[in-house]
Amino acid sequence: MIRRPNQTRTIILLVAPAFVFVLVFFVLPLIFLLSQSVLPEEGGFTLTGYLDFFQSRVSRIVYLRTLKLGLIVTGISVVMSYPAAFVLARMPARRRSFLMSLVILPLMTNAVARTFAWLIILGRRGMINQTLLSLELVENPLRFIFTETAIVLGLTQLFLPLMVLPLVSAMENIPNDVLEAARSLGANRLTTFVRIVVPLSSDGLVLGATLVFTGSVTAFVTPAILGGSRLLLMSTLLRQKAVIIFDQHAAAVVAVVMIATTLGVNLLLRVARVQHS
Amino acid sequence: MVSRWMYISLVILYGFLLGPFLIIFMASFGANANLAFPPQGFTLDWFANVFETSQFIDSFWISLQLALLSTIVSLIMGMPVAYALTRFHFSWSGMVETVFSAPILVPGLVIGFAMLNFFVLLGDMHVMTGLFIGHTAILFPYSVRVISASLRNLDPYVEDAAVSLGANRLRGFLLVVLPNMQAGIAAAFVLGFITSFNNVPVSLFLSGPGVTTLPVSMLSYLEYYFDPTIAALSTLLVIFTVVLVQTAERLLGLSQFV
Repeated sequence: MIRRPNQTRTIILLVAPAFVFVLVFFVLPLIFLLSQSVLPEEGGFTLTGYLDFFQSRVSRIVYLRTLKLGLIVTGISVVMSYPAAFVLARMPARRRSFLMSLVILPLMTNAVARTFAWLIILGRRGMINQTLLSLELVENPLRFIFTETAIVLGLTQLFLPLMVLPLVSAMENIPNDVLEAARSLGANRLTTFVRIVVPLSSDGLVLGATLVFTGSVTAFVTPAILGGSRLLLMSTLLRQKAVIIFDQHAAAVVAVVMIATTLGVNLLLRVARVQHS
Repeated sequence: MVSRWMYISLVILYGFLLGPFLIIFMASFGANANLAFPPQGFTLDWFANVFETSQFIDSFWISLQLALLSTIVSLIMGMPVAYALTRFHFSWSGMVETVFSAPILVPGLVIGFAMLNFFVLLGDMHVMTGLFIGHTAILFPYSVRVISASLRNLDPYVEDAAVSLGANRLRGFLLVVLPNMQAGIAAAFVLGFITSFNNVPVSLFLSGPGVTTLPVSMLSYLEYYFDPTIAALSTLLVIFTVVLVQTAERLLGLSQFV
């Protein structure tokens, strides 16, 4: 390691340009946002914005719906990824790296394109309705778009890779010997999976769950396309307050509640990790 | 240990992840304008329509310029930070790390909204400048993290050797460290470019009349039209991304940085 008398000066010079950029263009706007949420245009400090938010039935429903859908998406992602991630982690390296590149492909495509597919699948004349109609299971097309199911499907497809990636990298580190030991000592597959694989991959699980949950509760494109103004989530509510109702004070409150939610989840994760280790 | 039902779950996972792409692909060649499934006939009209819709062409160029510019600037400014974090021990390094990972913890839509209000406060700012600032800020976490990882893989003694042989620090960095970091820089570049190019939430509030990014203009197109043009455009974007990501993965192993 480099030790020099003017080390602090060097560090400051290296860090300063980007640091000032983030401070001025990122931290200051957030402080301004915070002040907007407690200082309405009429002047004076007030917390009525927050009281209004939590007392209003509509915004309470929207907030709880957002959290609920976030939890459902996280749960589905865990169930869908866990066994599959295990298969991926046990694969020969070449095949795994090919399959992993397919997992990150959806992450690398814009959310509008990915969500659009669900309009084709779930639409009035979409894949599911046409199948149901041709099998004569229903007489009229069912409405899937603008439902919670549609949003859950869209969000799960969007964020599933964020669960698979940390799980696979946690499971790669489980030595084969440990699994063989468990098996040779009489544990069946299910017991080995539940008692050995799950505890040893819990770090990946917690990280993946945090990424999926915070992604889901803050995503905009999916609820905008599949929920619209009929089924608002926090992000679409923020946009509605800011652009359509044009109430910047109320919009700032929604924004701060969104930040508090994601920071709260990340803080919980940090506490859980400290206790874990 | 790997049983049959685990393989089935793998197939379901990939079906769910990739199935939607197959459906977009099919829809973009179908002749029926109302997107009824299954698509009837075969046409390339929707692809032609993409290139005839000026809103897509204009916003594509804006997205391309924006992604290139913000990625390069975030790399140039982020690289010294990564260097300081990996090569020096200092008591406030934790604070620096927190500040540079913060843009990833705050929801993109909130960032865009807060920046818009702040820029309005500052006075007249060009829409493109606002977008550039927003995108550069959200790319710092990626560039600092990926470059730091790549610097950690490089033995600091190699650099010290160059210095003890008479190069100054800057020369040592430019001639010894930088050439050894090519893969990390390229990975950070691809990751940053894609993140910016696909971003909707930050761009949404910062876009203005006439200056819109491609994903935002796709979203607003969807508010008025429901035809396979978006499917055709999505197909083109998926092909573009596959080529970019597969090349990067083949050359650099991109998935280890995500």
